[in-house]
Amino acid sequence: MNAITRTLLCALAAIALAAGPARAQDKPPLIVGVIYVGSVNDYGYNRAMKDGVDDMAKAIPGLKLIEAENVPETAESERVMSAMIAQGAKLIIATSFGHQEFANRLARSHRDITFIHAGGWMIEPNFGTFFGATQTAWYAMGVAAGLMSKAGKAGFVVGVPIGFVIGNVNAFQIGAASVNPKFETRVVVTGGWSDKVKEAAAANALIDQGADLLTMHVDSPATVIQIAENRGVYSIGFQSIEARKIAPKGWITGLGFNWGPYMIETAKQVMAGTFKGAMVRQGLAEKMMVVAPFGDAVPPAVRTAVTAAADKVAAGFTPFTGPLKDNTGAYQLTKGEKLDGADMGKFNWYVAGVVGRVR
Amino acid sequence: MSTALIVATLAASVAAATSLLYATLGEIVGERAGVINLGVEGMMLVGAASACAATTVTGNPYCGVLAAALAGMAMSLVFAYAVVDCGANQLASGLSLLFLGLGVSALVGKPYVGAIVHGLPSVSLQTSFGEVSAAVSIDALVVLALPAAALVAWLLNATRWGLQLRAVGENPLAAFAAGCNRRRLQYQAILAGGLLSGVAGAHICLAVTYTWAEGMTAGRGFIAIALVMFARWNPWAAIAGALVFGGAEALQLQLQARGLDVSPFFMNMLPYLLTLAVLPLTGRAGQLAAPAALGRPFAGVE
Repeated sequence: MNAITRTLLCALAAIALAAGPARAQDKPPLIVGVIYVGSVNDYGYNRAMKDGVDDMAKAIPGLKLIEAENVPETAESERVMSAMIAQGAKLIIATSFGHQEFANRLARSHRDITFIHAGGWMIEPNFGTFFGATQTAWYAMGVAAGLMSKAGKAGFVVGVPIGFVIGNVNAFQIGAASVNPKFETRVVVTGGWSDKVKEAAAANALIDQGADLLTMHVDSPATVIQIAENRGVYSIGFQSIEARKIAPKGWITGLGFNWGPYMIETAKQVMAGTFKGAMVRQGLAEKMMVVAPFGDAVPPAVRTAVTAAADKVAAGFTPFTGPLKDNTGAYQLTKGEKLDGADMGKFNWYVAGVVGRVR
Repeated sequence: MSTALIVATLAASVAAATSLLYATLGEIVGERAGVINLGVEGMMLVGAASACAATTVTGNPYCGVLAAALAGMAMSLVFAYAVVDCGANQLASGLSLLFLGLGVSALVGKPYVGAIVHGLPSVSLQTSFGEVSAAVSIDALVVLALPAAALVAWLLNATRWGLQLRAVGENPLAAFAAGCNRRRLQYQAILAGGLLSGVAGAHICLAVTYTWAEGMTAGRGFIAIALVMFARWNPWAAIAGALVFGGAEALQLQLQARGLDVSPFFMNMLPYLLTLAVLPLTGRAGQLAAPAALGRPFAGVE
């Protein structure tokens, strides 16, 4: 090492030392508090939220995060969020449905703090709600299932059959029937978002009864996909697209959430003081919903068809266009009638071709 | 009901029944020694989480089973100290053990939520009836389940140790007067219960779900306690009990998958309704079969 380099290095070190403490005293441009209902390592819903939050932190230099996992959907969440506000958080992200009323109550007493909440309906000037338009995106998954299933019969493991889950099942069936009119979706309800033993038994039961493709709407797709792979049937994932690693043979594709762009945009609005609470529902078009990479089993023609279906949805197509019959044979939508926006989360009927009961 | 449905249901019930049988056998040993442990669920959860962790770390599922057995025993040791040495209320201590287990398992399992563990090596037997097929996956713990029941039955009914253990459960003072070491026997029984509950948890994680989720056993530990009464403290009858409950759960899911026009919410109640329905059948005879000193703290001086 020659003298010049050494001098240079010393100078750099001196600058770094001088700059270090000064930078630490700088106020971060924004402090964001985030609460999760579960662990961020669930390869599912919470992981997807955490990925979005990390994207936001990366995109805005200096942004400081205060995060809390396993925050229950009770008044406890209000205390956690209050503590975050006391530490200087100006934006609070409440990521689970049941956090809604507690976050909303805080929003009404702290007008200077911005709140965004996933999946609800409440709106205040400083309280917005956001979620993926999952239903329309499921249409593309249905197309994939309709083209891949040889039996023309898919099994759908459902945790709790609430409106927006039923909407997902319906769009899946409509998509599948668009390429195979005889297609059938069999639904098995486990009664909980995370009863893994029952999910396993449900997956096995669906395969026993003739389904050669499984998909699911539960917290973590791991168990159902693993069982499908063990028994040699296809699988389509939901929540986290990472699940494809579990099923190298049977994986077709899947739907995942991509919260990053929306969270980055919101953080920028908060810093600029332009945030306005609104209901945000974005789908494939805005890239809040993303289609997972295809598995090796999927031939090029199917990939093209599924991508085309996803593009069609992104361009504004809604699968819920009349005439549409429910699975008892009654018309629910007349010709030309359409469901969109919030209506897609309020289903209490299955479309024709779905085998199962809502209640 | 078609043959296909019956065979598919029987095949599917094996997976659920295996873990139930291990947990029930463990509780039978404890209750025969006069100790009722309501914390089975907690020990199963800790077993499942430890199995998941140990399998991921070592890459060997049998290490997972071993870890689960040890973890179940460690949990039961806490309980044993409270009820055997300190004479604490068994019901309250058991419930505390349950909540301790919920917390400990959540902590141990945290890094593995939703991650896939490579389960026990298994052989899949499959047969099909036209469109409907039936599959049963046989792994080491399934193979060992029936011998385990036989072993417990033999130990309890045909050995000196079993006789002493049952004597402690019926009348600890008399057993003590006859020279039995009550403290040691109850410790052994509770530890055996912990071991078997841990193994039950391991089977759930390593052969049924292949992943960990908080509270994954979803009440099966309590079903095991109910099955002890259903089986009238008899290890052989526990096999039938575990198959009946496992079968009821499998059947309702098979029926849903088959498209039976019944509310899914009603279907999900079925296994529990069935459990409630069979318990009265054991009725008074069940009362008579119960160890006489079950649940009572030891009042004598050793």
